[in-house]
Amino acid sequence: MKIIIDAMGGDNAPDEIIKGAVQAVQEFGVPVILVGDGTSLLEHMRSMGYANLPKGIEIAHASEVVEMTDEGSAVLRTKKDSSLVVGLKLLKAGEGDAFVSAGNTGALLVCSTLMIGRVRGIKRAAITAVLPTAKGRCVLIDSGANVETTPSLLLQFAYMGSFYAEHVLEISNPTVGLLNNGTEETKGPPVQKEAYALLREAARSATLNFIGNIEARDVPAGGADVVAADGFSGNILMKAMEGTAYMLTGMLKSMFVKNIFTKLSALALRGSLAEFKSRLDYKEVGGAPLLGIAKPVLKAHGSSDARAVRSAVNQAIKYAEADISSLIAGNIGLMAAEK
Amino acid sequence: MVFKKVAGMISEQFGVDVSTITMDTLFEEDLSADSLDIVELTMALEEEFEIGEMQDEDLTNLRSVGDIVNYIQTRLSDN
Repeated sequence: MKIIIDAMGGDNAPDEIIKGAVQAVQEFGVPVILVGDGTSLLEHMRSMGYANLPKGIEIAHASEVVEMTDEGSAVLRTKKDSSLVVGLKLLKAGEGDAFVSAGNTGALLVCSTLMIGRVRGIKRAAITAVLPTAKGRCVLIDSGANVETTPSLLLQFAYMGSFYAEHVLEISNPTVGLLNNGTEETKGPPVQKEAYALLREAARSATLNFIGNIEARDVPAGGADVVAADGFSGNILMKAMEGTAYMLTGMLKSMFVKNIFTKLSALALRGSLAEFKSRLDYKEVGGAPLLGIAKPVLKAHGSSDARAVRSAVNQAIKYAEADISSLIAGNIGLMAAEK
Repeated sequence: MVFKKVAGMISEQFGVDVSTITMDTLFEEDLSADSLDIVELTMALEEEFEIGEMQDEDLTNLRSVGDIVNYIQTRLSDN
């Protein structure tokens, strides 16, 4: 097992990427290939106190960097030697088992689709967010890759998310809800209504644990283990949940620092507060897999620090071990896309 | 010959029966193709026919299978 990491992608690259990679190698015992400008990476490592290349770390040279403003479809032609493209080439060549990048999401999605390809029969890959809920975690698919969807795409998303929830997050027989503006079967635009019918049929054939429509307000409570959504609605839901989490933790902090008594209370609750914070922290999750791509590719948060990178590598290892692509390929008959 | 190869590749990529593909088949209207599908197809065609990179301005004029076939034939004869 070996994980390839884009060392130049993200707001805190390359220092936090390097730190996170070193932490991951030490904690999980899996070697890592850092992709980026070799000379620059070595200089950064020296300035961070590493006299030599840390154990378990390799460097693959890439002279260019994909900026956050670069257009996804142009990158493959204009930045062939970027850390993102070189990293995907290494994955395609079998030099590693998964690729992690905190860089340009659009470029990662387009380049993964064009270079690695989709599992045969999958019409579109989906960015799959793993979100905290009151019951643990839920999988939101799609969380932004496909603004427009079709009923068949939503069916594919539901199956892919379900496989991920079961085999990577280890949720037994995960429940699947269809994100909608109401729980009744008749709710939503035509795409959602048709998708509902397809998902219900899948439930009847006992291949998917579809529980019906789910409203956004029920997602944080753990109303479903997998939430199938079009990318537009999914992205809005994900950002609303992120923003709400920040708001709540900020408000709690303000309350606890109000006076000496509240500060003492916070001290007494220190352990529980730390656990609460950890459950809401994206850094503990790691990244968002691009489900439907034929090999494991994960998008780490753009602001990933070392902890988040370490978590992303952990998630990449589990994702690669679970061989989700083979599961999807083996069950593609259940989710045949329309033409 | 070019048409047969192109039709086979389109059939593979879009999951449609090759017998339904004609020179008049439209990518957007008949195959529900979007820009990503077109880029993916053109990359595969470039490799298959060894015609070098297809320019973005050429891609905007390729709306049907016939357009692609004629384009490839022109590039092959230029080479």
